[in-house]
Amino acid sequence: MKTVAVFFGGRSSEHDVSIITAHTPIIESLLATGEYDVWPVYIAKDGSWYADKAMNNIAYFKQDGWETKIAAQKKVQILFDNGLTLVWPGLMQKTVRMDIAFPAMHGTYGEDGSLMGLLRMANVPFVGCDIFASAVAMDKALTKQVLAAEGVPIVPFVWFTKHDWEQNTDELKEKIVRLRWPLFVKPVHLGSSIAIAKVKDEPQLENAIEVALHYDDKVLVEESVENLIEVTLPIMGNDEPRPAGIERPFNKAEFYDFNDKYLSGNKTGGGVNSQYSEIPAQIDAELAKQVEDFGTRTYRVLGCTGIARVDFLIESERKQVYVNEVNTLPGSLYAHNWKTVGISSVELVQKLVAFAEERFAAHQNLTYTFDSDILKKAGIPKSPGGTA
Amino acid sequence: MLKHRLANFFSQYRLDYPRSLIYILQASEYDIGEYLTWYRQTQDFRRVERRKRLVYTPKAVCLLVLCWLLAVMLLGGTMMFSITRGWYVLPIVLLLLPVILAYGILIPLVLAKFLIQKPAEFFVIRNARTRLASHKAVKVSIAGSFGKTTMREILKTVVAEGKKVAAPPHSYNTPLGISRFIQTLNGNEEVLIFELGEHYPGDIKKLCDLVRPDIGVITGVNEAHLEKFKTLERTTATIFELADYLGEKRMYVNGESERARGALRRGHITYDRTQVGQWQIHHPHTGLDGTAFTMIKDDTKMELHSSLLGLHQIGPLAAAADIALSLGLSPEQVKSGIANTKPFDHRLEPKTDTSGVVTLDDSYNGNPDGVKAVIEFLTSLEGHRRWYVTPGLVEMGPKTEQVHREIGRRLAEAEIEHVILVRNSVTPFIAEGLKSAHYAGKVMWFDDALAAFAALPHLTVRGDVVLLQNDWPDQYR
Repeated sequence: MKTVAVFFGGRSSEHDVSIITAHTPIIESLLATGEYDVWPVYIAKDGSWYADKAMNNIAYFKQDGWETKIAAQKKVQILFDNGLTLVWPGLMQKTVRMDIAFPAMHGTYGEDGSLMGLLRMANVPFVGCDIFASAVAMDKALTKQVLAAEGVPIVPFVWFTKHDWEQNTDELKEKIVRLRWPLFVKPVHLGSSIAIAKVKDEPQLENAIEVALHYDDKVLVEESVENLIEVTLPIMGNDEPRPAGIERPFNKAEFYDFNDKYLSGNKTGGGVNSQYSEIPAQIDAELAKQVEDFGTRTYRVLGCTGIARVDFLIESERKQVYVNEVNTLPGSLYAHNWKTVGISSVELVQKLVAFAEERFAAHQNLTYTFDSDILKKAGIPKSPGGTA
Repeated sequence: MLKHRLANFFSQYRLDYPRSLIYILQASEYDIGEYLTWYRQTQDFRRVERRKRLVYTPKAVCLLVLCWLLAVMLLGGTMMFSITRGWYVLPIVLLLLPVILAYGILIPLVLAKFLIQKPAEFFVIRNARTRLASHKAVKVSIAGSFGKTTMREILKTVVAEGKKVAAPPHSYNTPLGISRFIQTLNGNEEVLIFELGEHYPGDIKKLCDLVRPDIGVITGVNEAHLEKFKTLERTTATIFELADYLGEKRMYVNGESERARGALRRGHITYDRTQVGQWQIHHPHTGLDGTAFTMIKDDTKMELHSSLLGLHQIGPLAAAADIALSLGLSPEQVKSGIANTKPFDHRLEPKTDTSGVVTLDDSYNGNPDGVKAVIEFLTSLEGHRRWYVTPGLVEMGPKTEQVHREIGRRLAEAEIEHVILVRNSVTPFIAEGLKSAHYAGKVMWFDDALAAFAALPHLTVRGDVVLLQNDWPDQYR
């Protein structure tokens, strides 16, 4: 039986969403197989780490005062010794070595590559995108720059940091004014549509930028796509990406915000709203083909592995498809979507574990170190104890 | 191993031990035999309340209080004794305390049964019998090892198209349950439908004496309650007490039940998926959207559709149609009535979730004929991946192994893609049946049904059909 550590929570605005993703479907599906010893590793909002099998049940996080209960527990430590080991220190120290890590953390310090870096250092196979794809996809502006360089269509945009905005407001406004209005203002690092606003005039723009800069130090302003059809495409795989169904959310608001995504779903929706979306999206066959083509191209360009979700904006009258952003840990893995193409949640997590092991095995075959005489040749003195 | 045994031993000293005893008594409807069988088979008294929880009825509360009183008095008395006479008695009483409580609680139960319950029931039943004797309604009685509630509901729905009809709710099929229902009648009902429950020989005769039926329906005979009847011959004889009572009167018998067919007598009307009485049945078809068939007699033709699932439903539907016509309903009324029939709670009841997975809740179907019919229905579904989830069947007595091996064999022959089994004393026989028939699908095991139900949403995909077969109450191991 393989031992799997599922990481969730974290210092992120999507902390609570991460708890849902970790349990539905990841932990519940891993347990349903009967093939894994599952260890939930919860990272609290203050950055403390805890691991207790009682947390395998999502009911733990619904009880009154669960945060206080967790805080009273012994914190878990991580040991890197050519592998990942959980350590509960103390007189009766307990250790459990992990065979696989399964990150389920959205947003900062998790989905942005931070956790992936840690897991690479530990030399343990981990599920999902690696550090590089995660870091690029976390920055919406950087993602657009990479995609634009590779000829993938994106919506015209302007980006700036908090410092830029404070120092060069007029210059940036001038650039922004040249875009075709209305516009969207987005913090570049946040997911789940947090602090995103659609603006139609300058006062709204300034207000939206102020809000966005409250959450992030880098912001992008981009053109709004009119006659809009929003679709999203989950993809999985390493070298041979496989798309799921093209999904179209039914927007109640003007755009698909945090509430639509996570809070307005039904009980059986598994965290992500399935009641308000259509799979497969009823769009023109030519548009669907473009979405699949651009989706898999984006997945490859960014170097995604395991799983990711590519979001699209479609100008339905001109039949123009734009890649909007990439999410390297789709909420609840978009299990509801995979089900529609014949992949159950259990099969999904099993495939993701297999992809993680495949990538890990490939990395093991790479050469990272070699012997050289560079130290000998360098003009530095020998150790003080040596002979002159 | 030692740790496990110690844990089991000390589980009898948990504070919720008395509550667990009362819970099982309640779950087994205060059937002392069933309770004692559970007690003898149980070693671990932790987590006894798995499927349900103790309901605090006055009877349960009284027993719980008495159980605690018994424990306190025993321990108190022993302490007093020990102080004056020595402490050697205390460990003996402590050791025997769980057993004394388990058996001791039966004393007030038995006393109450014979001193209070029985006399009270006698008067309730006597009043009901008198009241029903003067009631003008046509009385239809249904007996059988299985399918009684379904038959009752079909008949009630169809006859209601043209007559004022009433029937006891839920599974009220004992003398007391039926008598209480009779108290609620207002006298203007034209048809009364009664389900007759059978647990021991003579039960059906007693109910016939109470109900005095004009028309009878025997839905079938099989191994249900075999633990109590011991032999199928005794089961058949008990169920056919209804036919004995009716004599020459109108008696319908399910021709698809081999044992019922074997006990047919002259004048009985058989029903099955091909005919009922003089009616011939044509063009049978079933699927997830319901069941359709055509009834033809001489120049009369009725094209019928019901939302009930499975070809095995055609027989009861046709019988209900024939009874309704005999009661004076028109063919149009019958057609409308059949169209109104729909799956009943937990009896092959389809539910489609937002993921597009169809769950067929058949958790109240726990008999071999019902299982056979359902597997036949699953076989008829094309283009769906099928899941069969079961904890097996209870009360199969000496036929337990044979019945469950047969289920496994049928599942293998039907090429059901996935079988989920709940670990208990009977499901290994299903696994053996699957193996012996070279089952090529996947078998998954879960420790309890709730764990299986929790896993199912993660195992299924759009278009899958999941069948939940039978429930496994906590008093069974």
